[in-house]
Amino acid sequence: MTAVAAILNDVESLPALPTAYTKLCALMGDETSGVRDFELALKHDACLSANILRVANSPYFGQGRQVQSVRHAVGLMGTQRVLEIATSVVLTGQLLEILPGFEIPARRFWVHSVAVAILAERLAKELGLRTPELTFTAGLLHDIGKLVIGTFLAGRSDEVVAPFLGGERALPAAARVVIGADHAEVGAALAEHWRLPEGICHAIRWHHEPERIPENRLQVDLVHVADGLAHTFGHGGDVGGVARGIASGVNKRLGLTTAQLELVGAETLEEIQTLAVSFGETDGGNP
Amino acid sequence: MIASAKQLPGIKPRTARSNIVVGIAEIQLSSDPEAVIVTYALGSCIAVCLYDPVRRVGGMIHYMLPLSKIAPEKAVAKPAMFADAGVPVLFKAMYARGCQKSDLVVKVAGGGKINDDEKIFDIGRRNYTVLRKLLWKNHVMIDAEDVGGSKSRTVRLEVATGAITINSPGEVTSL
Repeated sequence: MTAVAAILNDVESLPALPTAYTKLCALMGDETSGVRDFELALKHDACLSANILRVANSPYFGQGRQVQSVRHAVGLMGTQRVLEIATSVVLTGQLLEILPGFEIPARRFWVHSVAVAILAERLAKELGLRTPELTFTAGLLHDIGKLVIGTFLAGRSDEVVAPFLGGERALPAAARVVIGADHAEVGAALAEHWRLPEGICHAIRWHHEPERIPENRLQVDLVHVADGLAHTFGHGGDVGGVARGIASGVNKRLGLTTAQLELVGAETLEEIQTLAVSFGETDGGNP
Repeated sequence: MIASAKQLPGIKPRTARSNIVVGIAEIQLSSDPEAVIVTYALGSCIAVCLYDPVRRVGGMIHYMLPLSKIAPEKAVAKPAMFADAGVPVLFKAMYARGCQKSDLVVKVAGGGKINDDEKIFDIGRRNYTVLRKLLWKNHVMIDAEDVGGSKSRTVRLEVATGAITINSPGEVTSL
């Protein structure tokens, strides 16, 4: 058994996802899905529907519009966007149940995840690029592997953190030495286990090494830069903070400028803060 | 260490101090001798800490970006987002509490960066450069600083004494 499989196997608290999730996931990436499919998937989960509505009404997604129902949300935002909100609500609701290790207080981890989701989308817009489908979800979940590793290590996260603080290794490398895998590998395996679309799994797997994915690199690049930017501006984070780098070639591929990074930072602060609160309040729906 | 105003002889000061948190793009002031003004996880952002040892007033700004011209409407709603718009607001707020410019102790922390080949991400250096210019123009000297490098910083200012502590991964320093 590989290290990654052993870790996932050993973490007993891997959440049981709501039954509605499987149905929603099947609709994800299916361009022909519509309002009717949505309503069927959510039929028996009023709690999940209510949480979807709350997030849909946050300033970031709602844009000041009052969303009345899931049907209304689909009409305003389109099916794929609402699906993205729905899966985010389900998965984040479960994640809050996992005890964080790795010296990441839950709230800070959370703000960082929301920041990367919003920054990745906003960067694409600023660069005049069409945002790849599910970029928000990819950003939101890019670090989920950390929570799994934290749980797996239980009280032993010092073994990973100490070599980093001593300047010997970067955090992912330290994790590979201690448990044979880093958070990107574990996170991608978890995303596959949850049957998330391939693009999201790739973004999670390669968010520190975007050059290693041969094609469809844009989403991975966006998540990589958003991750760096979130640490730069101090949106949540981990013990590592700004002790990290942007991979060679990314800036050129995207054509980034400092002015664009600063503008994106200024325009997203409030959205990140309010959406983090909105997601933090949700539970994940019926088991 | 300067004794706090409320401290009576023979009575130990309270150890549990109240934290006043300065969020990103915010300013906080306090003259409560029990208070500690704190800001977390400065990356490229900068905290300017002002302390008046005569009146025992402390103030701190946590700004994100150098110049407000990049997003003028944000500067109106949240001036503390920018060095050029926010730092003058902090000084004026201190003056409104009766502080004199000549008494103020000025300390600066933050302005770090993540590494990238083209230095596009070095917003910390820009944040610091603009601050230096702004203070220079207004004849304000920086008394102490801990800026730059690839580390995140959490900064605490004790209102009773003006003492500043900086926590970064694996180290704690006084400023």
